[in-house]
Amino acid sequence: MLTGLDIAGDTPLHRASARLKLILLFTAALALFLVESPWLLAAAAIAAAGLYASTGIGLAEGFRRVRFVLFTVALVALANYVFHSLTDALAVLFRLGALVLLAAAVTATTTVSAFMDEITRLLRPLERFGLVRAADVSLAVGLVLRFVPEILARYGDIREAHRARGLRIRPLGVLVPLIILTLKDADTIAMAIDARGFRRQ
Amino acid sequence: MSTRDLVLVALFAAIIVALGLVPPFTLGLIPVPITAQSLGVMLAGCILGAKRGAAAVLLVLLLVAIGLPVLSGGRGGLAVFAGPTAGYLVGWVAGAFVTGLIAERLVRESQPELAQLLSFLAAAIIGGIGVIYLFGMAWLSYMTGKAFTEIALASLIFIPGDLIKAFVAMLAGRAVLAGYPLLPART
Repeated sequence: MLTGLDIAGDTPLHRASARLKLILLFTAALALFLVESPWLLAAAAIAAAGLYASTGIGLAEGFRRVRFVLFTVALVALANYVFHSLTDALAVLFRLGALVLLAAAVTATTTVSAFMDEITRLLRPLERFGLVRAADVSLAVGLVLRFVPEILARYGDIREAHRARGLRIRPLGVLVPLIILTLKDADTIAMAIDARGFRRQ
Repeated sequence: MSTRDLVLVALFAAIIVALGLVPPFTLGLIPVPITAQSLGVMLAGCILGAKRGAAAVLLVLLLVAIGLPVLSGGRGGLAVFAGPTAGYLVGWVAGAFVTGLIAERLVRESQPELAQLLSFLAAAIIGGIGVIYLFGMAWLSYMTGKAFTEIALASLIFIPGDLIKAFVAMLAGRAVLAGYPLLPART
């Protein structure tokens, strides 16, 4: 149920490495903040929208994913229009809009495992200083994906138990047992991980 | 970090993700639905302490960045970090850390209940509201051009809802401390 946001496909953007895409996204972000002209930014926003559409995501799904962020961008642009000028508003609208669409295009064309590989590589310098272990990060990511469905099922169980006893379902009454029951599993899970020698300490 | 700490961090991150997937809570008196995810940030600090709490929140943000729809409403991906409100998300990490730091210094298991409650409330308000808004507004000021002051003021309408969350975090933090204490004490 927790599947990645990447869309299967074989566009140039899909074939590019995760690192290249992240570097290009970062460069584009810097460039967008250096440009002031709303016309140039509008062109950038149209190009970004074209790139996002070229990932083969489809109009409805593509819009559903970015609508909330674009809504906040529109609010910010509106505030600029009301309190300052139309030029400021358009510049903010197109600059942030372009950035959001480019970022969404990278997410749509990069698999979760490609991102994980890149993060493992980025963590390597930190590993040398003993700050964090890349293997621990991927282990933690795997654990989260494994336990989210379990916690949701437990949440359902606790609600049922409350209902069966005729108790009103209140946030605290559900939250506290959910947290305690979940965290109490930590000892057994840690023991299982150590018994299998996953962390090789 | 011991294996147990690593597992606690991952489990709490999973709780925060799950809180974004369950339907929003409505509190009896107030008809406004409360998304529980930012409550999870305050709870991470109150329950796991500074280091592990911040690590749990950081893990959630990592999942967002690598393209998993784990934020409330199924949002996720890099686009979330490109929007004008990304500062609040980044502030989650610092917020959980400060919440944990204050809770670790103030809360003792031997204290009377009221002292524990007040300590958790202070931790949740300073870390979970103050620090998060500080990051969120600093980011807004950079991203939003000239209308920063107006937008910053408008974002204050979320404060009452956040105060309710701090209150829930206080009660839940104290209840978990009584049931299964994990918060490290710091002098």
